[in-house]
Amino acid sequence: MSSQTTKLKVDPRDGKLAMAHFYVAFIALTLGGLMGLLQTLVRSGKFELPWGIDYYQILTVHGVLMGLVLTTFFIMGFQYAAISRTAGTHSPAARRIGWIGFWVMTVGTIMAATMVLLKEASVLYTFYAPLKAHWIFYLGMTFVVIGSWLDGAAQIMTYARWRRENPGKPSPLLSFMAIINTVMWIVASLGVAATVLFQLLPWSLGLVDTVDVLVSRTLFWYFGHPLVYFWLLPAYMCWYAIIPKIIGGKIFSDSLARLSFILFLLFSIPVGFHHQLTEPGIDPAWKFLQVILTFMVIIPSLMTAFSLFATFERFGRSKGATGLFGWFKVLPWKDARFTVPFIGMASFIPAGAGGIINASNQMNQVVHNTIWVTGHFHLTAATSVVLTFFGITFWLVPHLTGRVLTKAMNKLAIIQGWVWFIGMAFMSGAMHFQGLLGGPRRSAYSTYGDSAQAMEWIPYQIAQAVGGSILFLGIILMIIIFVNLAFFAPKGEEEFPVGEAENLDEKAPMIFENWKLWLGITAALILFAYTIPFIDMIQNAPPGSPGFKTWGSW
Amino acid sequence: MAKAELKTNKKTEIEDSSSLKGTLASVFFLGIFLVVTWLSVYFLFLDRF
Ligand code: HEM
Ligand SMILES: [Cu+2]
Repeated sequence: MSSQTTKLKVDPRDGKLAMAHFYVAFIALTLGGLMGLLQTLVRSGKFELPWGIDYYQILTVHGVLMGLVLTTFFIMGFQYAAISRTAGTHSPAARRIGWIGFWVMTVGTIMAATMVLLKEASVLYTFYAPLKAHWIFYLGMTFVVIGSWLDGAAQIMTYARWRRENPGKPSPLLSFMAIINTVMWIVASLGVAATVLFQLLPWSLGLVDTVDVLVSRTLFWYFGHPLVYFWLLPAYMCWYAIIPKIIGGKIFSDSLARLSFILFLLFSIPVGFHHQLTEPGIDPAWKFLQVILTFMVIIPSLMTAFSLFATFERFGRSKGATGLFGWFKVLPWKDARFTVPFIGMASFIPAGAGGIINASNQMNQVVHNTIWVTGHFHLTAATSVVLTFFGITFWLVPHLTGRVLTKAMNKLAIIQGWVWFIGMAFMSGAMHFQGLLGGPRRSAYSTYGDSAQAMEWIPYQIAQAVGGSILFLGIILMIIIFVNLAFFAPKGEEEFPVGEAENLDEKAPMIFENWKLWLGITAALILFAYTIPFIDMIQNAPPGSPGFKTWGSW
Repeated sequence: MAKAELKTNKKTEIEDSSSLKGTLASVFFLGIFLVVTWLSVYFLFLDRF
């Protein structure tokens, strides 16, 4: 398939840039993990933050570092390496743009982080108006987005070169998937760029006094939902196209994988209202429409589940497994590159179930703004996605640094995966139940005047602190593994696994690479879902809001 | 003993290595899980609102 034109190894010059991204990602994981632990301890009621540090400040640090920095840096590093491996070494020009992107993102991160540390920006990672941060925080966020566009541009350049050099051929699967994700990210981040540049920055600079809250939230969620798919699709890249190779099996269907990615591109963006179901000022008919579009995402999700089960079953049967579930036992459970992402895949079952509940209009009223939601995305992002990223790290980091994953590290990695799973079962499980009892998210410890309802929540908060402590242990193990693989593991060759399709004669239809068509449908769906409600919001806008600072200064 | 022989032959030989029975069962379980969790929160909603 693709292998005749590509090298088996990522060029060391590309590897260096990917590693630069991973250093930032793992620093973010370390600091963010510490904040997460502190949050659970505070919420248990047994611990208070010292030195005047404020809960919402550390919550902002946690959300920004975990939700925005860890994810974006890891994803850009991984996709950059995956394209180099499958579509060929990046050109010097593409690599230069990639480096500029990396530094712009890093500088932006430092700017935003500084403002949060100075207590000038405890606005949480969603920076919802009318909470108002220092303008340097918003400018830093803008830099992160612009830097990611440059990183994306480098990937697109190399993909475009491959297409020019291989006319009429479908691009390598991993490159195709990475480009879908990059394109989705660029289209989506236009929304957050618009609210930051045209609303939040002028407002925080004092050029205008008020902000239209509904418009800014709508632009944010136009970005915010595809954001979560931007996290998820790299994990799907691993599940569809890498895991089959690791277990020694085949990709069930190359075309099915591409089709599901295209469906994610189409249906991830015109759906932001499902985060605004309780928001006044949006006509319910448009909420209904966007909820329907949201449910369309179930189709590619179930396609993914089917094809992963099928890959596993076919592999197991080829090893002689029989019976309905015999194949399950023969999977390579002793290989961390498989087992840790597998825990992530399995976690996506309850995670997805929770998502369908969240998006159902009436049931959203049961869980909206409760800690259930936090429990939900610690399964999706902080388990499915993050454990898959860890699983990628186990082979990609040694591949890039010319080292190997030793037996001992492999063992530690499997322990790490299970520690994470157990910690998350406690933390996320307790969050789900506390949420169903009405416990709010984004709130420090309070007994609300010893109200009976708030008293019911306390055991669950203690369970979250237990889970959070176990998870923090998982983070320490992961840092040990990362540092080992980056600096200390023995020199050698670690494979970058790239799966092959079961049926090599089944050539992916070229229509999948027709970007005019897919971008056209994407744009049409977005315009359809957003134009009229957006005009309505602007024409019937309430008076704007001044900024609020709900937290104290140092 | 002819009968017993026939039986064992059937079980091991006929199971096709390209069978996706387990996959079918797995996606059914997945579907049932989605419906059950959805319904349980739905009834919680009906109970409360
Ligand atoms: C040691 C592991 C972790 C612990 C103990 C932890 C704990 C927590 C807690 C307790 C909250 C909610 C607090 C509240 O709503 O008041 C929270 C929020 C959050 N966590 Fe984690 N978490 C961990 C790992 C992660 C990871 C790996 C990610 C992402 C990949 C992540 C992403 C987030 C995000 C985006 C929020 C939302 C912040 C907000 O509501 O503004 N967390 N975490
Ligand atoms: Cu969403």
